[in-house]
Order: sequence, then structure tokens, then C-alpha cells
Amino acid sequence: MKCARCLLRLQGLGSVVPSARTANRYAYLLQSTTAPVLTKPLVAFNSHGEASRHFHGSSAWAKSSPPSSDLKEKEKEIDKSLLSRDELFERVARNAKTKAAFDKAIEAFTKRDRRRRGHVEFIYAALQKMVEFGVERDLAVYNRLLDVFPKEVFVPRNFIQRMFNHYPRQQECAVQLLEQMENHGIMPNVDTKVLLVQIFGEKSHPMRKYQRLMYWFPRFKHVNPFPVPRLLPSDPVDLARLGLTRIANDLDAKVTVYQMPYTDITETGEEITLPHIVGTQSPDQVELLAKHDPSRPVFVEGPFPLWLRNVCVHYYVLRADPLPPGEKVEEPYDPERSLYYPLELSLELERDMGDLGDDFDVEDLDEGPVFAMCMTGQGDQATLNQWISGLQEANAVLGRVPTLFRLDAGPRELQSPAGESHRPHPPPETDPCVPGDEGGAGPARQEVDVTLEEEPQHSRGVKQ
Amino acid sequence: MSLNRIINSKSFDIGKSLLAFNLRYNGKFVPHPPQYRCFRTQARSLAYAKDLFLGQINKAEVFPYPEIGNEELEELNQFVAPVEKFFNENVDSKKIDEDAKIPSETLDGLKELGLFGMQVPEEYGGLGLSNTMYARLGEITALDGSIAVTLAAHQAIGLKGILIAGTDAQKEKYLPKLASGEHVAAFCLTEPGSGSDAASVTTRATLSEDGTHYLLNGSKMWISNGGFADIMTVFAKTEVVDQEGVKKDKMTAFLVERAFGGITSGLAEDKMGIRGSNTCEVVYDNVPVPLENVIGEVGGGFKVAMNILNSGRFSMGSSGAGMMKKLIEMTAEYATTRKQFNKKLSEFGMIQEKFALMATNAFVMESMAYLTAGMMDRPGVPDCSLEAAIVKVFSSEGSWICVSEALQVLGGLGFTKNYAYERYLRDCRILLIFEGTNEILRMYIALTGMQYAGKILTGKIKEMKRGNLGMAVGMMGQKLRSSFGGTKDFGLTGKDGLVHPSLADSALKLEQNVYLFGSAVESVLYRYGKSIVDEQLVLKRVADVIINLFAMTAVLSRASRSISIGLRNHDHEVPTPADTGTEMYHAPENNDASIKKIAEQILEKRAYVCAHPLDRTF
Repeated sequence: MKCARCLLRLQGLGSVVPSARTANRYAYLLQSTTAPVLTKPLVAFNSHGEASRHFHGSSAWAKSSPPSSDLKEKEKEIDKSLLSRDELFERVARNAKTKAAFDKAIEAFTKRDRRRRGHVEFIYAALQKMVEFGVERDLAVYNRLLDVFPKEVFVPRNFIQRMFNHYPRQQECAVQLLEQMENHGIMPNVDTKVLLVQIFGEKSHPMRKYQRLMYWFPRFKHVNPFPVPRLLPSDPVDLARLGLTRIANDLDAKVTVYQMPYTDITETGEEITLPHIVGTQSPDQVELLAKHDPSRPVFVEGPFPLWLRNVCVHYYVLRADPLPPGEKVEEPYDPERSLYYPLELSLELERDMGDLGDDFDVEDLDEGPVFAMCMTGQGDQATLNQWISGLQEANAVLGRVPTLFRLDAGPRELQSPAGESHRPHPPPETDPCVPGDEGGAGPARQEVDVTLEEEPQHSRGVKQ
Repeated sequence: MSLNRIINSKSFDIGKSLLAFNLRYNGKFVPHPPQYRCFRTQARSLAYAKDLFLGQINKAEVFPYPEIGNEELEELNQFVAPVEKFFNENVDSKKIDEDAKIPSETLDGLKELGLFGMQVPEEYGGLGLSNTMYARLGEITALDGSIAVTLAAHQAIGLKGILIAGTDAQKEKYLPKLASGEHVAAFCLTEPGSGSDAASVTTRATLSEDGTHYLLNGSKMWISNGGFADIMTVFAKTEVVDQEGVKKDKMTAFLVERAFGGITSGLAEDKMGIRGSNTCEVVYDNVPVPLENVIGEVGGGFKVAMNILNSGRFSMGSSGAGMMKKLIEMTAEYATTRKQFNKKLSEFGMIQEKFALMATNAFVMESMAYLTAGMMDRPGVPDCSLEAAIVKVFSSEGSWICVSEALQVLGGLGFTKNYAYERYLRDCRILLIFEGTNEILRMYIALTGMQYAGKILTGKIKEMKRGNLGMAVGMMGQKLRSSFGGTKDFGLTGKDGLVHPSLADSALKLEQNVYLFGSAVESVLYRYGKSIVDEQLVLKRVADVIINLFAMTAVLSRASRSISIGLRNHDHEVPTPADTGTEMYHAPENNDASIKKIAEQILEKRAYVCAHPLDRTF
């Protein structure tokens, strides 16, 4: 269905494509009358023979230029052909959805028809199935898919072909494949390049796409100074540890496990589950908390969401309100502090206007200091109280300070569909990509899928 | 900063000879009869380096180069000769380094020579040397790093507290034994958690219940001589009630005898260099210290510590120079005997350049050290801590570079333990670290100057910021003039110039640089105001410039004197200031001719050839 829509679109698009196609058709007719060779079945894939080139070209043409009157019928037929591609995968997936099965499907396709009829549809179908088979991050698989394209056939042979969009569907399809690689953060390798050159020639759109990928990807490879590991730990304690060290990016900060997750059955047969409590606190925060005025309360607030790739964890903070401006005590300058040089000059000159520096303290914020953070499996007051009493060991002042709990609705509610509208967008390659879960505020990859279905031409124009 | 400083009789004599040009700047100066020590609490109004921050040259402070009288020189030479002999014959530096201990015979020899009481007044059994003479002896003691550090820890900082702020009773009780070397002193300030931050000192002294003595508790780290010192200057926090009746912790200096009990020394640290000197941790456990052993006032320990530290540094310049001279001799010996391609090493240009560098550095160090010592010996209470810090930074870094270059000349030989060179390298590394690291001293140098200049320039800068048109136009004019190469005449050259005409070029460069530095300081103050304390990189550059300017001044002054009075080999000094000047002027000039000239003279004589700055011709 998708392909049919593609086709329609392609046909409706400007005069460039059809005219190129008609030119091709005429060339074919001309050739077929003058070259008797064609009547013979092609024995092998002849990389230099003109005839084979045109033979393949015509296969695409034959399918893509039906008379508009029996369009519906044609659509059905293509539907069927696409179905058969899907079937191909479903059949191999009966045992297990693995890379080997995926490879088998590709092999089956390439073997079934020497002429590779319908390879564009097959590749589109394969691209969609990749996530399902768990091979969306496998470069070798992409290269194998590219290999499905017949070689040499789509290489423009003269300047007119080069000028116009030569074999747009095939080019579009290859670009789409490269784009899927891009979305999954896969950098093409030299094999990809060789394949693209063989299939489309040096100056084709897929080649341009490849060059752009190779231009940007290496530059962006380490653009994120705080990379999230690709495989997240499955243990919630380890995950919490990872999340906390990510928020509190301080090498001195100590992550403490206050309670390990624990399930026990009491004598009465009741099952008790103790959630994990993992907290972090840096020496600076300990110092800040020690200086806190005990008459002012501290707050436990949360939960706040933190996305780690496709997992959302929640954390709680221990904080206080900022001191009102009048009560801020600046530490007085002690002239007898530094034995060697003055720490302050007794001058009345201030910094020049245009030269104001900006200081920013990570802990001592305008909205109030943050003293500690924790993650727990269960965000109720009892659990968090346990965290606070654990903190008290290092921070004696907590025993004297009133602690208020300002907890929002628990994480479960937060994850419910109602709350999903304000869910942060995870980065595209981290998206779970679960089919049918497209109701959320469209993450980038799904957007791509949508555009693929609806307006491939437009998407190519923008993304290349 | 007010300083209590002792002017002993000798320095006064020297001062007298310089009185002629000193009086003008010393309105409060009253001639004291000789043989009296005098206490002054007021700093002399001006010193040289501070004025440079204002773009001014305080000529009277540095021209002519300070000299000592014939009698003192003779007396000094009488001291120097036996000490030199002792160091050449009785000190086995290699053994000291290997055993990490100075043999007791050597220590006894040093004590006999009186080297443990060089600056202790004669009435207390010391040698009573002036700063200049002390610097001269420092040149020799520096031949062995371990001995130099042991002596310095004893008298440059260890017993300095008694000299600066001690009562007469304390002096009478302790100084004689310290001067004779019967007791060794140590200076205990650094703690595991407190380097230059006095606020984090945790050693405490609490008054005993009966109020007769203090009880000292805590531990001190990296104490030179800590293993065997009998008398220690210890800094500890005491509770002091200030005028408003608020109790506060303040630092107090105590004189602590090991005999008081409760003192334990840790194991001596195994160090990279100066291995023969003893460095260890000292722990005080309820040490009873009588009330009369407080140095200065209770709660006044910070000032005492600062004054001791500030006064202990100036001699490092001459020590460095002494070491360099010895090193030049040793290296020249090698360079003139080793042959490659039928040519002596000394004939190679790049080797010659290294010798020129070493000689120039030694010359500059020597010039700066004796200029500063001379300034300190002048009557009045000169505050030369800025100059002393400059000398320390320059000479420690110069020594390090020179030793490294010397090793380069020697090639693989210098890298082996069979020769002394690697020991020099190891020993000399500590110079950049102790007595205030060079980074901290750069901060001190730059900020002290900035504070001084800032006080004077505040009005002007505020006026400019307010948008005073006339002032701005005037500034612009000045900037324009200087950008077209206009110079300011400070009167160093010309008809009544203080600099010898053959050095006129270098003098002009100095004048130009001082002028530019002054305007640079002004723009820095304009831009940062008092927040300059946080701009360490700017301050570092300011400090580097002032160090170079002071170096240029010292060299010019000394060379002018040498040429004018006709010291031996004075013509060799001419290229040096030109060299130094050019180097510091940052002008790409070709110095090859002067490099070759300096190097050839050195390599020909296989020694550092310039006359000693204290030498006289008449």
C-alpha cells in the first residue's frame, strides 16, 4: 500500500521523471527492435552488457508506468507483491527473529529471482522489519540490503541522465536506507561506498547522502560530552547509580546504597518487598548542609523524571529554600588568612562594566541549595524517610532540622498516557521504536517513518 | 606593612657610606650612634619595585649599586676564605646525599666556623653579619644543598622569630646557644591541612587552668631540622578576646624547647633532593609552654610568621649564583676537553649559547641578590619584601634552567650518578617550591604592587570612568605618543645620567619598558579593579614583567658601577646587560655576537669571569 502511494506520488510529480522514463521506454523499444540479443534469456548478470542494463531498467519501468485507468488493479497487484515480501520475512521469522533469519530472507529474495524483480519493495519491507529482527544497528545487514540492488544498471551514462533524476525510485530507496542508518547512528563504511558507486555511480543522490553522512558523523561522534552507555544495566540499583552519577556530575560525590531491593515472606505468609534506595551526596553538599540553619526546614521533593535512553527513572532531591536576600551572611574577609599574599585588595575600584564575569555554583543555586539526591523503587514517605535517616549518619544536622515531604503523584501515574504529553523526547536512536506505540509526541525516528510513508520525495529533498 | 627589624652595627656602617643619597628619601631618618640596635615600626616610605608599578624609576634606591666599605670587605674575606676551604676539603656532598645525613663532624666544623649564627648579633655570640655579608657566605654554603637548607632552616626562619620579635630575655636565654650551634632551631608552621592558609591551622595552645603555661597540641609537617631541633618556633591557634569582647581563634608564635617534653618527631622523609637535610613530621602532645615563651603578642602570630617568611628569601639569589658559578666551572672543564669531529665541544655555537645563558643568569642573580641585600642594609627600615620575593622567583627558576642546560652540555654523563650534576639538578628543584612556591610569590609580587599603585591611581581611574573628557584626551595623547615610539626620559642617560654611557642603549630600553609597564598596570586596574585578585593569569604576567624589570635594573646598575670604577673584566659585563635587556625587551634581535663573546671568555678561563659585585678597586 505504501509503495502504491509512493508510486502515485512519483507519477504526479513534475514532468522530469516521466519524461526520463519515456525516454527510457523509447530507448528500450528502439533497442528491442535493433538488438536481437535481447530475445534470448539472459544467462548471467552481465555487468557490461547494454542489454542487461536496459532489461533491468525496463522492469522498473514496466511496473511504474501503468496506464492510469487500471490504477486500482495495479495497486492491488503491488499490494500483493509487498505482501509477499512481508511474507518472506514472516516465514523465516517463524523460528526466531534473529539476524540469521533476516539474512536468510535476503538470501531467499536474491535467489528467487535472478532479475531481482521488486527489489525496491523488498528493501522497503526489509527496512521496516529490521527493528523487529533486532538488526537495526548492524552495518553488515545494511550493506547486504544494498547489495540487493542490481549493479551498474542505474548508473547514469550520459550528461542528460546525470542531469535528471535517473531511476528516482531506486535512488529514493537507497537514500531511505541510508537515512535509516543515520537515524540509528550507524556510520557507513567503505563497503557501503563501493556498493553505492557500483549501483548508482559516483554522483548519485545516495552517494551524496553517503558523503554527507561521512562528513557529519565523525564530527558528531563525540558531540555529547555525557554519553549514555548503549546497553543500560538491567539491575535497578546499577541503573540508579548510573542515573545519579549522571545528574550529580561530581567525581567526589559518593553514591551510597541505603537499601538493597529485597523480597521476603513473613511468618504470616505475607510477601514484603523492600525497594532499593540509592542516594548520592558530594562533600560540598555535606558542607552546605552542615551550614544550614536548623530553624529552616529542608524539603524532600520529587519524583522528577530522568530519561536514560528509553528508560525513565525517577529521582528525589533534598533541598532547602534559598535564604532571603537580607539574611545572607557573607564570610567576612580575614586579612590574617593568607600567609603569603593578600586575598583581597583594599581598593575602591570595581570591575569595569563590560568585563563582568559570571560565576555559577552547581550546588548553591538561586532557587535554593540542593543537599542530596536519591532514587528509589518506591516513592512513598516511609521509604524516603529511610533515606533521610541514612543521610543523617554523615549529616548530623538533619536530626535537628524539620524535614518536609513534598511529593507529587508517584511515578506510575506520571508514566500514564495522560502524563505523556509532557514527557521529554528521548534522542532518536534511543527510541524504543515499538510498533503501534506511535501515539506519543512523535520522536524523531517515528516522524521519519511517517514521512516515508506519506511523502518520500519531500523527505529526500530535505534530508539529503 | 610595619616591620620590626634590627639594624646592627655593621649594616649601619655600610649605610653611612650611602647616606648621602639616602637622606633625601628618608625624612624621618635620625642618625643613630653606631653599636646600637634600633627598632623601627614604620616602613621606609618608598622602595624601588613598588614604584615601577606606577611607571616610575626611583633612581636613588638603585643607583649607584650598593657597595660595602673596605673594612667590611676585608673582614668578609677573612670569613669567606676558611669557609671556602672547609667546603672544598671537609664536605663530601656525595656521601651526604647517599647517606641522607650530614655527618656530625661536618656539622661540628660548620658550628666552629660560626655558620650557625651568621646573623645573630655579636653580643649574643653570633657573627653579626649584615644582609650583604650573609648573602656572600650564602654563595659558599650553597655548594652543598643539604647544608644550605639545614643552615637556612636554622637561622633564616628558625631563629628569625627571636631576632625580629623576641624580648631581650628570650634573646639572652636562647640566642647564644643557637648562635654557637649547640642548639638547632626549626620553624614549624606547615600542617597536613594547612600550607599557606593560616585559617586552617589546627594546632592549638590552650592556657592551663592555673594560667602559668600553655598546653600545645597538634602536629606539624615537613619541618626542616624537625628531627633534631632543640628550639622550635611553633605557630598555634589560641583563643583571644578582642576589643568587643568576642572570643576568637588567633595564631600565636611560641618558642618551644624539645626539653619541655611531649614532642615526638616522625621518620625523616625520603626526599628527591637536599637529601642530607632532615625533614619530618613533629607531633606535640600536651607540651607545656611557659607564658614568657610567646613570641610577640598573644594573637600576633600571623604578623610574626609573615615577617619571618618575607625576610628569609633574599639570600636565595646569591646561593643560586654561587651554585651556578661552580657549575659553570665544572661544565666548562668538560666542554673544553671533550672533542668531537676534531673540535672541542666549546667550539660549537649551540654549546656556547648554553654557557652564555648560564653566565648571564648567574650574573643577573648575583646582581639582583646584592642589590636587594644592599637595599635592606640601608638605614631606616626598608620594606624590601617585594624585591626579596622577586629575587627568589628569578633565581630559583634561573638555577633550574641553568642546571638543566649544563646537563645538556654534558650529555649522558650528566645523567649518571657518577657525577655531581644530577645531584645539583635534584637539589635545585626544591628552590622553586619552598619558602613560598613561585606561583604564590608571583601573586604576592603582583598584588602588593597592584595594591600600592591602586591606592594612588584610584582617583584618576574613577575620574576617567566618570567620563572626564580632558583626562581621556590626555590619556589618548599619551598612548598615541608611546605607540609612535616616544619614550619617557627618567634621567638614566644623557648628561647627568646615572648609567654609564656605554650602556645607554640598555638604559633606554629599561626606561621605555618601565613607562609601558606603568600604563599596562593602569589599564589592568581600570579593567579589573579590586577583582584583579581572581585574575591569576593576568597577575602572573604582571609579575613576570616586574621581575624582568627589576633584573634589568640590577644588571644596569651593577655594570655601570663596574665600568665606572674599573673592576677586573668589567668589559665582559657590557654584553650582559645588553643581552639581558634585549631578552626582556622581547625584541627579536640578533645577539649572536655577544653570546659568542661571553661564552668564549668563560670557556677560555674555564670559569665565570666577572668580578664579584662586592669587589672594590680603591
